[in-house]
Amino acid sequence: MEHHLALSARGVQMEYRDRQSGKRLLALENVDLDVPDGAFVSLLGPSGCGKSTFLKIVNGLLRQTSGEIKLHRVAKGREDAMVFQDASLFPWYTVTDNVAYGLVCAGVSRKAARERVQPFIDLVGLGGFGDKYPYQLSGGMQQRANLARALAVDAAILLMDEPFASLDAQTRELMQAELLRIWNAARKTVVFVTHQIDEAVFLSDRVVVMAARPGRVIADITIDLPRPRELSVKRTPLFQDYGERIWGLLAGRQEETASQGRAS
Amino acid sequence: MTGGPALVARPAAGAPARLRGALGERVFYGLIGFVGVLLIWEATAQLGLYRKSLLSTPSAIWQAAATDIANGELWPHVSLSLTEFAIGFVLSLVLGVPLGLLIGWFRRVDYLFSGLLAGLNAMPHVALIPLIILVAGIGMESKVIVVFLWTFFAVVVTTFNGVQTTARKHLEITRSFGGSQWLAFRTVVLPSTLPFIISGVRIGAGRALVGVVSAEFLAANRGLGFYISLYGTFLDTARVMLGIVIFGILGVVIGELVRVVERRFEVWRPDLHH
Amino acid sequence: MARASTADGPTFRTVLPRQRRRRSAAQRWYRRNERLVLSLLGIVAFFAVWQLGADAGIVDRFFFSSPSEVAIAGWAELQRARFWEDVRVSSVELAVGSALAVIVSVPLGLVIGWYRRLSYAFDPWLNFLNALPRVALIPLVVLWVGLGVEMKMLIVFLGAVFTIMVATVEGVRTVERQLLDVARSFRASEARIFTSLVIPGTLPFIISGLRIAVGRVLAGVIIAEFYAQTQGVGVMIAKAAATLQSDRMMFGVVLVTLLGIILYEAVGYAERWFQRWRPSLDLEETT
Repeated sequence: MEHHLALSARGVQMEYRDRQSGKRLLALENVDLDVPDGAFVSLLGPSGCGKSTFLKIVNGLLRQTSGEIKLHRVAKGREDAMVFQDASLFPWYTVTDNVAYGLVCAGVSRKAARERVQPFIDLVGLGGFGDKYPYQLSGGMQQRANLARALAVDAAILLMDEPFASLDAQTRELMQAELLRIWNAARKTVVFVTHQIDEAVFLSDRVVVMAARPGRVIADITIDLPRPRELSVKRTPLFQDYGERIWGLLAGRQEETASQGRAS
Repeated sequence: MTGGPALVARPAAGAPARLRGALGERVFYGLIGFVGVLLIWEATAQLGLYRKSLLSTPSAIWQAAATDIANGELWPHVSLSLTEFAIGFVLSLVLGVPLGLLIGWFRRVDYLFSGLLAGLNAMPHVALIPLIILVAGIGMESKVIVVFLWTFFAVVVTTFNGVQTTARKHLEITRSFGGSQWLAFRTVVLPSTLPFIISGVRIGAGRALVGVVSAEFLAANRGLGFYISLYGTFLDTARVMLGIVIFGILGVVIGELVRVVERRFEVWRPDLHH
Repeated sequence: MARASTADGPTFRTVLPRQRRRRSAAQRWYRRNERLVLSLLGIVAFFAVWQLGADAGIVDRFFFSSPSEVAIAGWAELQRARFWEDVRVSSVELAVGSALAVIVSVPLGLVIGWYRRLSYAFDPWLNFLNALPRVALIPLVVLWVGLGVEMKMLIVFLGAVFTIMVATVEGVRTVERQLLDVARSFRASEARIFTSLVIPGTLPFIISGLRIAVGRVLAGVIIAEFYAQTQGVGVMIAKAAATLQSDRMMFGVVLVTLLGIILYEAVGYAERWFQRWRPSLDLEETT
């Protein structure tokens, strides 16, 4: 499955200068990351570790201060598309228009875009809700629409920025299972940012653990759980081992994982 | 509470309290208040508790309305005031909304105008009436200018505030999907500014009405403001009150019209559906 | 744009870092103070265009005067006793009228807002009076109290009283249900709830009502003075206009504008201070 790299980052740094104090803040320090085509990779870390910043740099919303990022070219569509955090739908658009917006940005006419997004609305399980406005949807449904908008532009890589962070625990689990189903159907590369350990382990092929101040990668852990995964996998000892090891890393006990090694 | 020797009684809510729904209750007490005040007004005046010339009475106002509508005296005044209002108001929207959008969208244009606009907006524009009458005479033109000025600044300021409060998050989405600035303007800035534009229209409409009245008081030979001030000098309180009531009704009707427009254009706002 | 920095390779698109631009100290200073510099520039440009336009004869001096003439006329005005008398009268009218409005409207608004049924009963009248252009009441008020200071105080009072009352009622109504439930669950007395919860919760609304009232109060006092033609800054403006002294008239306009700015800033400051803990509130300004 892993024919080529979808994304490759080398020595990416992001530096801010505080306007008042003039002090330099290192949001990202020397980040290297390779993501093979079709892989599901999570960036996991506390707030302030630069995981969202990295995603925004890949997407082009921010520019790094040094280092470079390579994205594998695609024949049609885009290289990457972003699934934002909560409340990123336009409240003045219906679900259909929101999902079509990515295509409209790419220059497709509103009418044609509306027709083209129907399959994606069905894929994320929002069939029949196309004419609703965001305020009429639950948080979980809003994030389905958010996902459909990114899927509709037919990007090779989906960049997901804590998409389930504001959902309640039950909806979140449901959406995790849904995401895996959709990922299976759509065959995309996914870079998923989260601060929840079990979410990262459950979804990913690899979990890249990051630390804050300065934001950097401290471990890269391959998750060897069989696919397709059901939610029940969360109760297996292997799953819980992974969880504890990552928890230990985040808590600063890095010696426990010395054997795991660091990638690249 | 636990372990206390005695239990505290919790009486059930009385049945009648649940009979009337919240909305019904609102209308019910609203009507009582409205009719009640009218009755007290009429009764106290008829009983001679104060001079009728101070406030007139609802029945006398009704009589004055019936006479002046029947003999066609009232209508020319009302229609002139409405015309002045409409022309000035539409002009200020046509010029004010684009200017507000422009100022809000370009950061440097905003900086350039922000101090000036804040000053012009804080200015009591009524102070300009003598100048405007000097320049444009006592005809309809001067009132149209007054209405225009009042409304214009309200519309510009609220519109550009609206553009500036456009959520960064939403603008980021257009950028993320590679949409142009122009697309962001049409699909993000315009819709999210609309509520502000409409509230500018509401504020402007209220001010425009004040403009009409003030200008007509000071220099006019026709119009509703002139009607009020004319009968004021004749000590005809009923007709003064009639003019005031009509202005009040205009104010309420214009406010309601704005609300209708708001509902029509902002179906996506949950707070407008109760 | 988002993709501007990309170098194109055959199989990979490369996102390159941002180019650093070297900036001189002056450029950096400008970038930090751009807002202030440009807004001052805007104001200066306005007066410059007015002055130059008047000098060149594009702006009609007869009507609009020019900044330098206005300044000279203003200086002369400051030496005159009559001017200070006008200022004193207008200030007293404003102060007394506004103070009365606050004294009457706040307690009434608290009571009306607290008793739901009472508020429903008063709603139609409050809405009507709030939508009515208050200046329309001037001839009526003249019938009541004549053309003196009392009339102008009453107009100022009427201009502010309903606005503040509506805001107060709104404030009491939106005192957060949850906090009320907390207080009730602790068996707080109604009086206690009122003083510890309702009044502080309503304060920001009252101040917002005041802010909206500022414009009305100023407009009210000026129109009332125009109408009565007795004493006050409004009379000074009207008389100057009637005698075609456009420089004096413009000085009056500038003066009331400054007053407006100061009042708005003061109330706005108070508003921000009281709303430190509350997101800004969108009260309808009608008339």
